[in-house]
Amino acid sequence: MSTWDLWKKGFDVWEDATAKYVEQWLRSPATLVPAGSLFTAAMKTKAAGDRAVAAVWSAMGLPTRRDQERELHALNQIQSRLADLEEALAEMKAAQSGSPKP
Amino acid sequence: MSGDAPEARVRRRWRNLLGLLRRPKPVVGATPADVVYRENKMELLRYRARPEGVAYRTPVVMVPSMINRHYVLDLRPGGSFVEYLVSQGHDVYMVVWGVPTAEDRHLTFDDVCDGYLGRAIRFAARASARKRAHVLGYCMGGTMSAIHASVRPDPIATLATLAAPVRFHDEALLSQWASMPSFDVGAMVDAMGNAPAALLQATFLMQRPTMSLAKFAGLVDRAWDDEWLDAYLALETWANDNVPLPGEAFRRYITDLYQREGLLEGSFALSGVPVRLENLRMPLLAVTFEHDLIVPAKSAAELVERAGSAEKERLHLLGGHVGAVVSRKAAQGLWSKLSKWWAAHDADAVALTAEAPPEAPSAAPAEVPSLAPSEVTENVTASEPPAASTGDEKPRTKGTARDSKAPRSAARKR
Repeated sequence: MSTWDLWKKGFDVWEDATAKYVEQWLRSPATLVPAGSLFTAAMKTKAAGDRAVAAVWSAMGLPTRRDQERELHALNQIQSRLADLEEALAEMKAAQSGSPKP
Repeated sequence: MSGDAPEARVRRRWRNLLGLLRRPKPVVGATPADVVYRENKMELLRYRARPEGVAYRTPVVMVPSMINRHYVLDLRPGGSFVEYLVSQGHDVYMVVWGVPTAEDRHLTFDDVCDGYLGRAIRFAARASARKRAHVLGYCMGGTMSAIHASVRPDPIATLATLAAPVRFHDEALLSQWASMPSFDVGAMVDAMGNAPAALLQATFLMQRPTMSLAKFAGLVDRAWDDEWLDAYLALETWANDNVPLPGEAFRRYITDLYQREGLLEGSFALSGVPVRLENLRMPLLAVTFEHDLIVPAKSAAELVERAGSAEKERLHLLGGHVGAVVSRKAAQGLWSKLSKWWAAHDADAVALTAEAPPEAPSAAPAEVPSLAPSEVTENVTASEPPAASTGDEKPRTKGTARDSKAPRSAARKR
């Protein structure tokens, strides 16, 4: 067996044992609860910061990033509704012409 | 190449490792296709048929996960599930979810799972001779397909799922993290909009934190094998090519499915229509994987127990969440079995040319593939009780596992 093969065997054993150990640690409430709380707190802070910036923009009468997102989303919704209408029309046409329902 | 002398392997290994940066970028998702439908970022691809034309009347619509790119199912020339299906005469469509941008934070689960997915499936069905389509969902795409099919079953001929979670409260780390009370998904969506790709990627990497090191050691170990190296690089390209998830859809996916187990509790609704897996009536095949860290086999197998289909089957294979779908063995195993299953459920196969390859569906169209000893299927008919335990993952031979009397429509030559 070559040196590399020996090293690889040893590595595999170490990797498996370490993965199991770290997995236990990652499952532990002692890790999960504070990590989750920290993540949530960071997200809430960011959201509060974004809201404050948006409020300043709005106070100046300017559209915020969120306003633009809403407009674009509304356009996407209209596209979806049009697609639904086209489908319904095609179905009605097919029914009128007696062809099988699409 | 495996018969090389050890010295030759060592030389090739170092040559390949040193030349990694100069190695051409892997070609991924290369099977020729046309975009036949587009809505917002979503595209529906239709793969070009083989020169002899398609062999079946019912197209296959593939629904990949929204978290990863679609081309895991069309990984590389010579190692692509899509390419294989096209070569077998299937008419293949692929839902490509695209990359959500900031405004897509408002996209809801209903928009995606009922709206986009529904229109894509109906488009493929309308374009087919049979006016119906087979649906194949992979991972999250499988869950979405099952949800959609239970509420809007009309255009769906059969449903096949690959490692699609249905029971979300399981032993996987992903489930534990998502259902942790201190994790507020709402706060994340409010702050970030879409669920960032980097966060999703990190979550998957943490399923086995030593995986990156192990991959590197594996790379050095197998670098002498050019074919293996090409496949490895293609898979790594895909694995590091994550996309964000629309914020509102992510919020609902986590709260209603992961945290509230809404699909099994019966509290989940799609566009206001309650989702009951018992309403699934089409033939169903749920594929589960023995070493799946992301979606444990039990979690995916639950679909077979819950579905109301008269003909339902579980195929349990060795391998992991991704490896079992893209590996070399998949061509002889999973891909071939799915192809034959669809062939057997094609109500009216059109003529194949005389030169059809031996694996072609016309050669053995009506039989669901026989199983290797490492695999389990559980065929459940309406008259049979559901499988006693989804946790029964011990390999069984085909004689004991396949005793279904469910009728199978035979594909026939025209």
